[in-house]
Amino acid sequence: MNASFLLFTLLNTGFILLVSPLFMSLIKKVKAYAQGRKGPSLLQNYLDLRKLIQKEVVYSPNSSGIMRVTPYLNLAVLLLASLFVPVVFIPDAPAGIGNIIVFLYLLAIERFFTALCGLDAGSSFGGMGSSRLMSLSAVIEPTMVIAFAALAYVLRTVNFHEMFAITAGSTIPESPTLTLISISLFIIIIVETGRIPVDNPATHLELTMMNEAMILEQSGKNLALIELTHAVKQTILMAILINVLVPWGLVTKLTFAGLAVSCLYFLLKASLLAGLIGLFESSIAKMRLFRLPSFYMMAFFFSALTILMEVFA
Amino acid sequence: MLEAFIYIAVIALITGTVLPLLYSSKKSRKASFGLSFVSSIFLLVFAGTILYTGEESVFPAIRFIPGLDFTLTADRLSGGFILLIAAVVSGVSIYSVEYVEHAKSEARKDLQAALTNLFILAMMMVVLAGNMVCFLVFWEIMSLSSLMLVLHDYFSEENKKAGLFYFIMTSLSTAFLFMGFISLFKLTGSAEFGSLNYPASDLTLPFLCLFTGFGIKAGLVPFHKWLPYAHPAAPSSISALMSGVMLKVAIYGFLRFLLSISTPELWWGTLILIAGSLSAVLGVIYAVKESDIKRLLAYSSIENIGIIFTGIGLYLIFKLEGVESLALLSLAGACFHAFNHALFKSLLFLGAGSVVHATGTRNIEAFGGLIKRMPHTTTLFLIASVSIAGLPPTSGFVSEMMLFQAYFYSSALPDPLLKVLLIITLSVLALTSALAAALFVKLFGITFLALPRTRCAQEATEVPKPMLLGEAMLAIFCILSGLFSSRILALLDFDLGIPDMLLLGLILVGTCGLVRIAVRNSGPSKTRTSKETWGCGILDQLPTMEYTSAGFSEPLVVIFKKIYRTEISSTRTYSDTKESIFNSGTAKIHLIKFFQERLYLPVAYAVSLISSQVSRMQNGKLDTYVLYVFIAVLTLMTFTRYFA
Repeated sequence: MNASFLLFTLLNTGFILLVSPLFMSLIKKVKAYAQGRKGPSLLQNYLDLRKLIQKEVVYSPNSSGIMRVTPYLNLAVLLLASLFVPVVFIPDAPAGIGNIIVFLYLLAIERFFTALCGLDAGSSFGGMGSSRLMSLSAVIEPTMVIAFAALAYVLRTVNFHEMFAITAGSTIPESPTLTLISISLFIIIIVETGRIPVDNPATHLELTMMNEAMILEQSGKNLALIELTHAVKQTILMAILINVLVPWGLVTKLTFAGLAVSCLYFLLKASLLAGLIGLFESSIAKMRLFRLPSFYMMAFFFSALTILMEVFA
Repeated sequence: MLEAFIYIAVIALITGTVLPLLYSSKKSRKASFGLSFVSSIFLLVFAGTILYTGEESVFPAIRFIPGLDFTLTADRLSGGFILLIAAVVSGVSIYSVEYVEHAKSEARKDLQAALTNLFILAMMMVVLAGNMVCFLVFWEIMSLSSLMLVLHDYFSEENKKAGLFYFIMTSLSTAFLFMGFISLFKLTGSAEFGSLNYPASDLTLPFLCLFTGFGIKAGLVPFHKWLPYAHPAAPSSISALMSGVMLKVAIYGFLRFLLSISTPELWWGTLILIAGSLSAVLGVIYAVKESDIKRLLAYSSIENIGIIFTGIGLYLIFKLEGVESLALLSLAGACFHAFNHALFKSLLFLGAGSVVHATGTRNIEAFGGLIKRMPHTTTLFLIASVSIAGLPPTSGFVSEMMLFQAYFYSSALPDPLLKVLLIITLSVLALTSALAAALFVKLFGITFLALPRTRCAQEATEVPKPMLLGEAMLAIFCILSGLFSSRILALLDFDLGIPDMLLLGLILVGTCGLVRIAVRNSGPSKTRTSKETWGCGILDQLPTMEYTSAGFSEPLVVIFKKIYRTEISSTRTYSDTKESIFNSGTAKIHLIKFFQERLYLPVAYAVSLISSQVSRMQNGKLDTYVLYVFIAVLTLMTFTRYFA
């Protein structure tokens, strides 16, 4: 633990926490425009969170401690994961922080406990959501691991910090194969954050629900924490794609000006990406549940292709 | 000095075996399990010292017949597995003190206590064996004592079938081991385990025999079928020992052979890797569909054995390709996973035993809501579930991560085709670990959360303290081995560069606390209210509205329907000639047990066909047998005259 890392912990986590709700609103806004509506204000998510956090929590009498602990645990897990993905500057981190395998499994913790939460109240909606989430996440897992393995193959390290230090130094993507991985990473963002065509975040129809079904029983403060967790997860995943594909602006040394530039660049790039996600969501329809594995195969194909290119290059 | 620990442990275990048979009382059974606990403590100290110092300790040979020596040795490999045995036994012995009292009759209780001690003794001696004779003798004692424990409820039809299945498979395993060891003996002329410096072509036959033999015992696909039969039949404490320890003893035997070879071949590694990956993914896919709690855990053991073999296969491949650091990482990952799996799987079996004891059924669909009725069991079960699902910072994660890391660095390999193989097996491993997470969400969620689905779950109560204490012991080992994983490995001189789980754990707990504090002080209202689960306006929520175990796994069953291979057959009759008015009909969904129906049964039929032919020669008349002897002698004489 050194001063640089401590400072990084505060700045990086704070920055991600601060901007995450913005990107959620931005996607909603873009979708609304695409549908010919005006949509909520960009600050709407912040207002929602403020409102929710002041409300009391209502628990079902069937529910147990799992329901009470999970919102706190999940946010903590995602905040820990945010240390793995530098967006403000690349610190001198202790060994193990930034390991991509640990990162993948931190996301798995969040999934595991969210799914248990879905089962906890005994509602059929929750059970349905958990069942679908765990099944589909099992099918996407090989894709995620292969995509990350492809990153490790191309950049020859299993640590995000070292990877980004390599990519940040160059103006164009380090290797053309990284562009291919980016397609997989984009699909992973769509899947992991539960967006169309995988899941519809704006729905409350049981036939299409996955994530919304599991958090149906959540309320008040706990719901606020869960929404925030979701937003943080989206930002982190977006940051990985950005730092791999368009790494300009990420500073490796800590200076005040560099920090400002980093933050500003990230805000700009992430906003563009959020807009892109919104457009992507608007342009296709929700897929049938059992069609999804073939959608995942596409991401798998691109990552496997990357590795094969590296192997036979 | 250190050897004395082993002698004490052996004496304690033998006393523990004899005592309940001599005096049948609750006290003597208690003393018997007390003795196994004491022996486990001595073994822990012994194994810890051996592992830390790396000294080899050789015991004086015991000679029964000239030429047949029993030698015992302990090096770091056996030290590691002794540690594994001791850790599991310490928990299981405390648990059994109370658990054994629920057996049906006094005689069975005594027998169970005695055989448990014998079983532990045999497993320990197999690991310490210094030569093939000693190894095989104790291997057989291990198999037979566990067989008798599987058959403890010998009147039940199901148990008889399970026992028979287990007996056949374990005999087959021993037969292959005999073949393997005999061919090794022919090659080396010595029964001692030692380094084997022979050309690989000479070692192919021993390798294949031993791989099959140990593979059967470890439950590698396609020899896995005995596990889901034997585990539900055995008492839970024995399932814990069998799944946690006995399967690992088979792994130990295989490693002992493999590590002594100086010139292995690449295709061995490939074979082991493919068999391991296949076992891992098939084991977990079968487990997902299962709704018998102990059978589900048995399938999950097959999965984990697959992961361990994956590690061993990777080790061979990396070693032969000259990437020493990755070879070490994979081997350490495989061994560490064996250790961790022993801890959390025995904890899961003990937890399952508690649940079955409290509810009287093994069917998951009948459970639900046990978290309110058995809070301590639930907590302990959750710790094990999180570990086996491989979530950081637990031990199950660390060992899986070591394998993943080895895979991720495999760009160092020179051979492109090998890399392609590794990419495929890597995605299989990823699929396995994600399915395991889904499996344990299902198992934990359906068993412990929400409302009880039946009366027996409704009336369940917490199990007695000794049972909880035994589980808690394993849970503590489980947590410690996760948090201190990198320190433990560093202490043993394995510098593998894996992330420090203690740091991650501390940050996680700290962040959790910070979030809690931040939220507590925000907003005016702090009250909580309780309202029924929302069900679209239905006022009373019934347990029948909950998701079931079968419902939970349905999406996965649909996605992997090619693997489950169900056969749907239907017949219909119509009232009219144009087949439009449906009259009556039958429909049947049949789940094809692929390995059983396509592999085991054909072999079994062939064997019984041949033996029915052979049995014709047995007619019970003396003169026929004299004729057989005459023909045999004649054949031998001709043979020696012309061929030898």
